[in-house]
Amino acid sequence: MRNTYLRLLQLVTGILIAVLLGVHMVLMHLDAILGFFGVDVKDVTSWGSMIERARQGIWAGLYIALLAVVLYHALNGLRNVILELTPSARTERVVTWAIVAFGIVAFVWCSYVPIALLSA
Amino acid sequence: MRQIQPRRNYLGAVGWLWAGNYKLERYLYILHRITGLGILLFLLLHLMMTTVFRIQGQDVWETTMSILHNPWFKIGEYLVVIAFVYHALNGLRLILQELGFLMGRPIPPIYPYRDSLRKKRPWTIAMIAVVVILALVFFYDFIIGGW
Repeated sequence: MRNTYLRLLQLVTGILIAVLLGVHMVLMHLDAILGFFGVDVKDVTSWGSMIERARQGIWAGLYIALLAVVLYHALNGLRNVILELTPSARTERVVTWAIVAFGIVAFVWCSYVPIALLSA
Repeated sequence: MRQIQPRRNYLGAVGWLWAGNYKLERYLYILHRITGLGILLFLLLHLMMTTVFRIQGQDVWETTMSILHNPWFKIGEYLVVIAFVYHALNGLRLILQELGFLMGRPIPPIYPYRDSLRKKRPWTIAMIAVVVILALVFFYDFIIGGW
């Protein structure tokens, strides 16, 4: 039952990522084609462009939301891949808690940075 | 209470690559797994880059970016984009099929049979076609946008 809900969340986060990361990919990589359609994204990886986005709450919020869904989807996916090898119950617990701990640490650190950069 | 144990995975990790007479969709499953693990690896590097190196200010950021603008990293970046496009579209196909779409209504098994594989195969081909088109679009932009 518990794994059923984890699986359902995997599907929901998958759709959310397809939308959010789709926007991210188009903005970061399709600069020439966007320029053709009159959207000027400038040099997205320059410090000026990056820090301008980092100062806006909407971008920080979007990135933290994306971080949460991506971390869940990626780490749950990794857990599924490992547990498909049907390890012992003890190994399964160790894997689960290692992944949960890593996810929490990664989420806290990686959402602290955009919040700190809001006032950069 | 006695727990029901899952069936043991006798083939182990080798079974991911080969476990019998495979059809197209099963190869897509392998690719889905490879792209997923590849994107996970990229995600870890990407999060390092956008946190540890970004918080240290402009100089460190610009040094990092000048390293990442190396053509080899650009090729890697392109592969990550393609992996994402594939993983997203194949995942969408899997979600739709899991929820019972794209497979037609169940019908009584009367000759000539219509199985779900024959119903979903055209969608698989269409998905691959969209992936190829998007790969070409991104390739065009990577070339035009400069390396």
